[in-house]
Amino acid sequence: MSDLTRRSFLTWTGVGALSVAAMSLAGCGPSASGGDGSLRFAWWGGSDRQRAYLEALDAFTAEHPEIQVAPEFGDYDAYQERMTTQMAARDVPDVFWIPSPAVLTYREAGLYRDLEGAPGLDLSAFTEEQVESFRLAGTLDTLPKSIFSPVLRYNTNFLEDEGVTLPDQLDWDNLAEFLVDYSANNADGRKGTAYGPYHDMPFESFLRQRGEDLWTEDGTLGASVDGVAAWIDWWEKLRRAGATTSVSEQDGIEPAWSQVGDKVLVTFANSNHIVDDAQAFPDYVFDQRDVPAAEDAAAGYHFTYYSRFAMYSGVPDDRVEAAATLMSFNLNSPELLSLVGLSAGAPPNTELLDQYEPDATPDEQKVIAITREINETEQRPRFEAPAGSGSWRDLMIRELEEVTLGEKTVPDAAASFVEAVEGEIAGA
Amino acid sequence: MAASTLSRGTLSRGTLSRVARHVVLAVFVLLMIYPLLWMLVSSFKPSNLILSQTGLFPSEITLENYGDGWDALGSPFTLFLGNSLLIGVGSVIGNLFSCSLTAYALARLNFRAGKLYLALTLMTIMLPFHVLVIPQYILFAELGWINTYVPLLLPKFLATDAVFIFLMVQFIRALPRELDQAAMIDGAGPFRIFWSVILPLMQPALITTTIFTFIWTWNDYFGPLLYLTRTELYTVPVALKSLVDTETQSGIGTMFAMSLVSLVPILLFFIFAQRYIIKGIATTGIK
Amino acid sequence: MTLTSKDTGRRVRGAPGAAGSKPPGGRAKPSGGTRGQGLVAHIFLLPWMIGMIGVTAGPLIASAVLAFTDYDLLSPPQFIGLDNFVRMAGDERFWAAVRVTLVYVLVSVPLQLGFALFLAVVLDKGLRGLSLYRSAFYLPSLLGGSVAIAILWRQIFGENGLVNHVLGWFGIELGSWLQDPSLALSTLVVLNVWTFGSPMVIFLAGLRQIPEELYEASMIDGAGRVRRFVSITIPLLTPIIFLNLILQMISAFQAFTQAHVVSGGSGGPLDSTLFYTLYIYQRGFVNFDMGYASAMAWVLLLVIAAATAANFIVSRRWVYYGDE
Repeated sequence: MSDLTRRSFLTWTGVGALSVAAMSLAGCGPSASGGDGSLRFAWWGGSDRQRAYLEALDAFTAEHPEIQVAPEFGDYDAYQERMTTQMAARDVPDVFWIPSPAVLTYREAGLYRDLEGAPGLDLSAFTEEQVESFRLAGTLDTLPKSIFSPVLRYNTNFLEDEGVTLPDQLDWDNLAEFLVDYSANNADGRKGTAYGPYHDMPFESFLRQRGEDLWTEDGTLGASVDGVAAWIDWWEKLRRAGATTSVSEQDGIEPAWSQVGDKVLVTFANSNHIVDDAQAFPDYVFDQRDVPAAEDAAAGYHFTYYSRFAMYSGVPDDRVEAAATLMSFNLNSPELLSLVGLSAGAPPNTELLDQYEPDATPDEQKVIAITREINETEQRPRFEAPAGSGSWRDLMIRELEEVTLGEKTVPDAAASFVEAVEGEIAGA
Repeated sequence: MAASTLSRGTLSRGTLSRVARHVVLAVFVLLMIYPLLWMLVSSFKPSNLILSQTGLFPSEITLENYGDGWDALGSPFTLFLGNSLLIGVGSVIGNLFSCSLTAYALARLNFRAGKLYLALTLMTIMLPFHVLVIPQYILFAELGWINTYVPLLLPKFLATDAVFIFLMVQFIRALPRELDQAAMIDGAGPFRIFWSVILPLMQPALITTTIFTFIWTWNDYFGPLLYLTRTELYTVPVALKSLVDTETQSGIGTMFAMSLVSLVPILLFFIFAQRYIIKGIATTGIK
Repeated sequence: MTLTSKDTGRRVRGAPGAAGSKPPGGRAKPSGGTRGQGLVAHIFLLPWMIGMIGVTAGPLIASAVLAFTDYDLLSPPQFIGLDNFVRMAGDERFWAAVRVTLVYVLVSVPLQLGFALFLAVVLDKGLRGLSLYRSAFYLPSLLGGSVAIAILWRQIFGENGLVNHVLGWFGIELGSWLQDPSLALSTLVVLNVWTFGSPMVIFLAGLRQIPEELYEASMIDGAGRVRRFVSITIPLLTPIIFLNLILQMISAFQAFTQAHVVSGGSGGPLDSTLFYTLYIYQRGFVNFDMGYASAMAWVLLLVIAAATAANFIVSRRWVYYGDE
């Protein structure tokens, strides 16, 4: 068969056409759209999380043999691309995780089912006060699958190497001073921190300490131009003093942790990130603490971020109970928690957290500690990002590029950031 | 004697020029595949050293990325390779069948709408995929074809890959008309001519189509991501993307390892297929 | 009967070999069935027609309609006339995307094609181990838009990457190319040239269609290597050069994956790698602004169609078909 003869062309085409037809008709099973009555559950993450959840779902099916679950999984970007397409086609999974900038966007599109009194939903582990805090504008249509807060994470080995400790009472000024000092004096040419004003959670804390909100209750940008400018300014002073890695060094405004993790002393992060991030640098021990706060910080500036999930509004009534049972399993199952751990955040169910603590890894213990510490604090309400604001972090990054490349002054960048975000919200 | 010196002189000059060409080519190849070499070396480093120890000579060598990556998604990686192979082969067959028929009609048959059809065909490759994908998804979801291979394969049998129609049209147009005419004089109809004259002559185009169809569908990401939501139906690119956690950047090592593993089948395929291009028309002649 | 290509007598202007093998007379256009081939053609076109009507046309028309609407993917589209097009005129990022894309098309397409043609000729024949080289040169194309590219490119063009390392020997100190707005686009041009494998394969296939006899005839006429390349290879390859030009131009206008992967989807720094389709993607999939994205897509279609048509018109001056 030295060349593609007509006969082999015919044969292969014919065989191919037939087998493809046969495969399409018979082999590939029913469609995803609940055609076979199984429950579609969608989440995101890396392969470790995928495997953990697959195992947990097996446990769920063992507990509830009448409910079959069809998992839909992707990494964070892929998940959102797929979800967007599915939304437009109204072919949405029955239970799904909600990417943080999309909470109110999805809500406005009517994707969520009201969960108030849904059969099979078990919220008994939560106080009435907690359940109230889950509600969005008075409606219980999403639930927190996990929670986290902003923290300052530090490399304990690097501190020891220099024989220094972070100030006990951490405010923005003494932290900046400490980082400048550290960068100038440490023996290994390390930097105080990575350039990090892109980070949304400490930014929100910074704003709340000034008495501003990132997002307001009526769905607008709460941050003032001054607030944004003060935040960028804090970072710019550090950067110009050589206390951060340069944008070139960290290859972008938003660096990969694996690239900067062994070059800097402290990093702003979410309280759960330590679980995965520490694994990238097994030679070091990391720890974390509450973010710095000015002495005159506004009361109740602390906050707990709810990473939410929801039930699709199009779930037929006869499947609601099954979907709610799966949601309850996500909220309350010690088995699930022991499989997935705290890498995506601590469970909002505090009893469950207590129960899990003895099995937690050393890094997870640090997540638990900070979660408890912040639970104790006074917290004024926080509001979700309104529809249309989904790309606000990209807008921030663009302004930061302008600033770091010397194309714009900090106040100008802050002003155009506010203008751009307001424009996107108005356009939505 | 003079003659033998001369011939030896030419010989060594010829050898010299051959060696020189090899050296130049080899250096060039090295430059081209340096990134891949780096990736290969990195895939044998412990995951946490890949970005911190960037030299080509690692201090520590491990196979863990390959072992971990193989089972990372709860199913052996062969499953994804198999899925991709199935879709790749199906697509090749579909494109060879449908595009050659279409191209022949557009390149050789005289009918009024021919030019219009070619223009229409070309137009379909000019619109960016991202504004078409949602209506397309709605269409296939309505038909209940999500989580089947139909949305990925059926279009190939319906000549929707306009690139290959255009490619084949250009190759057919490069063939002399006199061939058809000779066959026509022998009493052959359009189907005979297509089958016995054009198809064998356009072998290089068919092989090219085969190579590109296979490799492009092998690398296609967005379609399989949307249409195949079950892990056991994943194709290689979707599986690879799932290995890296966008938020924490963990899993780079396993992703490198599995990327290289998945390069092997398409590289073998290419090495195999390109020989047929090279044989081409010049050696096979026309029978 | 063995019909070699010599008997077919291509008409090649300026090819010495062609003169030696005269076409069998100025035979008239095919007489049989010029009219009657419409029906036959449509039988051949049946799969294409089903595909066009059943699969392609719907989404195509849908996107054309959406171009005149405000459509956020979640609620029904609202008709807004020409607003999307008016908005484009005043959209700074739109114009940034236009600039980036035009520069990319004008620079990377000729570079990539020149490279591909050169190597196709070098790797065509006459050296041992060519198939090995061909495969090695094709390797980068196999990687396509893989997620691995993002990391590889940082490794090469980052602050401590390979390129800066080499430049350092000559005393040139540069930061990360990917973070420098004046250099970032060039890394994507390099990426495109790096994956020159596809046009190279098409050229190789085209070279194989050139009948050996033409070369033999011209060698008898005493033509040298360069002469043969200029007077036989190039003219006979023009349909394929043209094909590659059109295909690569269209794909450069639509370049997406590589910029998406390398810039992490942002098109940064400072929109210096914001390709047109990347901006379409951002508007459509990130900002749920599919009406505007569709309008942008149709503008792109018109631009590509115009560029293609212009190429077709110009091609009459330099492309020689065997069927003419």
